[in-house]
Amino acid sequence: MIHKPLGSFLPALLFKGVKRMSTLTRRSLLSKLALAASPAFSATQRDEHTLIHVFLRGGADTLNLVVPYADDQYYRLRPSLAVKASEAIKLNDRYALHPALKPLEAAFKEGRFGAVQSVGVDNTSGSHFECQDQMEHGDSMSGTPAGGGWLGRFLRLRGADRPSPLSAVAIGTALPESLRGAPAASVLERLDDMAIQTAHGRDSADVVKALRAMYGVDVTLLGERGLETLDLFQKVGALHGTPYQVENAARYPKDSFGTGLREIARLIKARLGLQVACIDLGGWDTHFFQGNATGQQAEKIRTLAEGLAALEADLEAHRANYTIMIATEFGRRVYENASLGTDHGRGFALMALGNRVKGGQVLGSWPIQADDDGSVNTPGPGGLHLETDYRHVFAEVLRGSLGLSPAESAKLFPDITLKSVGLM
Amino acid sequence: MPTTRRSLLKTSALGGGLAALASCERITTAVNREFLGESVPTELHPPEAQEIDPDFHLLSRAAFGPWPGDVQRLKAMGQAAWIEEQLYPESMADTACDLRAERFESLYFSAGDAYEFRKPVLRDEITRHSLLRAIYSRRQLFEVMVEFWTDHLNIDLEKGDCIYLKPSDDREVIRAHALGNFYQLIRASATSPAMLVYLDGKTNKVRKKTDDQPNENYARELMELHTMGVHGGYSQEDVREAARCLSGWTFDRNRFLAMNQSESFFKPDWHDDGEKKLLGHIIAAGGGAGDLDRLVEIVCSHPSTASFIAFKLCRRFVSATPPEGLVKRVAAEFTRTRGDIKCLLRLLLSSPEFQASQGQLLKRPFKFMVSAIRALAADTQAEKSVLEPLQRMGHGLFQYPTPDGYTDDELPWMGTLMWRWNFGLALAAGNQPGVRVNLWPLRKSLSAGKHASVWFAHLIGRKPTEAELKITTAIDDPQTVGLILASPAFQRC
Repeated sequence: MIHKPLGSFLPALLFKGVKRMSTLTRRSLLSKLALAASPAFSATQRDEHTLIHVFLRGGADTLNLVVPYADDQYYRLRPSLAVKASEAIKLNDRYALHPALKPLEAAFKEGRFGAVQSVGVDNTSGSHFECQDQMEHGDSMSGTPAGGGWLGRFLRLRGADRPSPLSAVAIGTALPESLRGAPAASVLERLDDMAIQTAHGRDSADVVKALRAMYGVDVTLLGERGLETLDLFQKVGALHGTPYQVENAARYPKDSFGTGLREIARLIKARLGLQVACIDLGGWDTHFFQGNATGQQAEKIRTLAEGLAALEADLEAHRANYTIMIATEFGRRVYENASLGTDHGRGFALMALGNRVKGGQVLGSWPIQADDDGSVNTPGPGGLHLETDYRHVFAEVLRGSLGLSPAESAKLFPDITLKSVGLM
Repeated sequence: MPTTRRSLLKTSALGGGLAALASCERITTAVNREFLGESVPTELHPPEAQEIDPDFHLLSRAAFGPWPGDVQRLKAMGQAAWIEEQLYPESMADTACDLRAERFESLYFSAGDAYEFRKPVLRDEITRHSLLRAIYSRRQLFEVMVEFWTDHLNIDLEKGDCIYLKPSDDREVIRAHALGNFYQLIRASATSPAMLVYLDGKTNKVRKKTDDQPNENYARELMELHTMGVHGGYSQEDVREAARCLSGWTFDRNRFLAMNQSESFFKPDWHDDGEKKLLGHIIAAGGGAGDLDRLVEIVCSHPSTASFIAFKLCRRFVSATPPEGLVKRVAAEFTRTRGDIKCLLRLLLSSPEFQASQGQLLKRPFKFMVSAIRALAADTQAEKSVLEPLQRMGHGLFQYPTPDGYTDDELPWMGTLMWRWNFGLALAAGNQPGVRVNLWPLRKSLSAGKHASVWFAHLIGRKPTEAELKITTAIDDPQTVGLILASPAFQRC
C-alpha cells in the first residue's frame, strides 16, 4: 500500500484505513460473531486461568533485553548501545539477559520464562500506530480485518457463559483495541476507587436504578458500556472494605505498572472469573540516548522485571492460574543512529512467563542477518527480519493458557494457517 | 537574570498587570461576573423541538457547548455572522476570561527562560490555563481549534525537557496558528524547541566524514501524523530522505541561557547537505537550512495532506464516519487556499452534512466536563481538584504519551463512564471541589419549576422523550440535573 505511485493517492484508501474506528464496524462485528459462535464453544466450565498481556508500547528494542552476545555484528553495529557480554546474564553460549532482567533469571532457569526471536506483524509502514492497531486487531496487512480486537474476538467466541465485567480487565483509563468486541470488559486503575458517589451520603440505590434505566434503553455501544460499568461497580463492591494484603513480601514498583499488576493479582486471587488482563508499559520508543546496561531503557527494563517478579512472588500459591505474555509492536534497527538511539525496525523477541510456558530457551533462528547493516531494507524499515508471524505465537499462548481449540483458532485468525512455535 | 525579568515585565504590561491580578483572583470574579457577561440572563427559553436545536448543535461542536444565553444570542445574529465572528477571535473582547486565565506567569516565557520555573508550577499553569480558556473564553471556536491542533501536534509534558518548552509551543505554534495557515503551523512546529525534544529532532545529525545515521523519529511522524497520513503514499526511503533534510536543526538549553535566544537554530556541520529525493522531487545538494522549507512545502502540498487534514477535521466536527463528499470538498478547499484554516472551517460548519449530524458524536471527557461547567454557568479557577476527575476519565491535559494525540475514536473513552457520572452528580449537587454552582438563578430564568423536562432541554438542546423524562425526574433539582449530566444524551453532542 505504501509503495503505490504518488498519483494514485486515493481518499478511498484513507477511508479504508480508518474504517475500523467506526461504530458501524461494531455492528457488523456482532453479526459476524453471532454466526461464528456456536454452542460447542460455550458453557463448559474451564479451570480458572488468566492470560496477562503486557504490551510494551513504543517498539521495544528487545535486542538489548534478550542479548545475542555471541554475535560480533551486534557489537560492531552498536558501538555505544550494546550490552557488554561481561555485564549481561548469560543464559547459554549464545544469549544473555539484560542485567536489569535479573529478577526473572530464576524463572528462566526453572524453565518458566522463555522467548521467541524475530516475531512481528507483516505491516511495512514502520508506524507505531498501524503496527499496534494491526496487532491488537489480530489482522495482517494483506488479509481482511476479521472484526474487533483479537482478545475481544476470542472472548466472544467463548460465548456469554461468564458475562462478568471482570472477565476482561484493562489496567489504566482507556480500553485497548485488543478488547474491542468483548462481551464485557472493564477499565480500572484501582479497585478500591470504584464507587458511585452521591450527594450528602445518600444511598446510591436510586441513582444506580436511574442510570441502569437510562443506559438500558440506549441501544448503542454507549448503552452497553454503561450497563457493564454498573455491573462492575456492584461486583467490585464486594471487595471493598478488606484491605489487600500482598503475600511473600512481594514488592511491586510504586508506579502505575506496579499498582496495576497488584490489582491483577488481587483479582486472580479473588477468583472472579478473570480470563484476560491487559496492562501497558510505555516509553520504549528509544530513538535518542537509549543507554545499554544502564540508562533510559535499562530503567524501563527494571520496572518490567521488578513488576513481574513481584507478581510472581505475590501469586506463588496460584502459579497454575496465570500465564504472562509480553509483546511490543516492533523491534528496532540493529545499528544505532547518531543520537545514540535506535530507529524503528521489524522483528522483536516475544517473551512469556508461567507454569505452562516451555521456558528456559530462546526459540527461532539467529536474529541478526547479513544485511542488517546501515542499509534500509524494503519493504518496511530495517531491523530483524520477520521470521514468525505474531499470530502463531498469540494463538499458541491462548491455546496453552485458555485452551483455544483448533476450530476456535481458525475463527480467531482466519487469514493464516497456524503452526506450532514451541513456546507452550 | 535581568534580561528575563525585563521580558517578563514587557509581556505583563501587555497582559494587563499580572501581579495585581494574581493576588485578588477571588474578589475579581465575585464582584465582576455580573457585568463581565458571566451571569445568567434573566430569561432563558430552552429548545422545545424533538430534534436537537440547530443553534445548540453549532455551539456543541464549534464551541464547548453553550453558556446560558448563548443559544439566544446566536439565534439573534444568525449562524453565518456567528461563524465569522468566531473566525476572527482577535475582534472579540475576552475580558472576563482574561481575568481568570491571563495571570499564569510561566506561559509568557521563552522556551529557554522557562527553565527558571519548577516543574509542578509549569504543569499546573499550562493545564489550568487551557481549562479556563475552554470554559470562559468567548473565542470558543479558537479554543476548540487549539484543542484540535494540540492533539494533532501532540507533545507530552513529561518527555525530556518538554515541560519547559511546551508553554512556548502552545503560544507560538498552536495558538499563533490555530486559525491561520496550515503550512505555517507545520513550519513553526518543525522548529519548535518542544517538538525538537519530543520527537528527537534535536539530536538528528549527520556529521561530515562519519557514518552517522539520521534520527528518523520526527521525519516519520511529520509525514504519518502531521501531514500525509500513514497511507499517504510515502515510502521508508522518503522517511529517511526527510530525516536528512531535517538534520542539523536543533536547540541547546545552554545556548538559550547564554544568548537569551528563544529560537531553535540550524547547525550546518550537523546537516547532511547532499542531494535528496523526496516524494518524486529532487532537492539539490547544498540547500542547507533551506532544505527544511522545501520539505515543508513538499509534504504540505502533497494531495494526501489535504485529504488527511480534511478527514481529521470532519472526524472531529461532524461524525465518526464523515461523509466522503464533505471530506472531498474540504480537501479541495485546502488545496485551493493552500491550507487556510478559516476557509476550511467556514465551509465545514455551513455544510448540510454538518447541520444534519446532531447528536452523532461522543463527547471526549474534556468536552464533557467543560460543557457541563458552562451549561451551569459555574465558577471555578480550575484548581487541581477540578483537573483530577479529568485524569480519571483518561484525559489528563498534555499527558498523552505518544505523538498520535488523544483519539477521536469512541471506544477507548467508554471505559471510564463511572467518573463522568460521579462528576456530573457532584457538580450539580455543589459537591465538586473547586467548582461553585448555584442552580437558583438558572432555575428562575428557565422557569423550571419542578419540571425535569426544562432542565433536560437546557442541557441537551431538545425535549426529552417520555422515557428520558420519567427517568431523570428525581427528588430535587440537583439530583435531576446530575442525572441528566450522567445520561447517555449528555455524553453525546
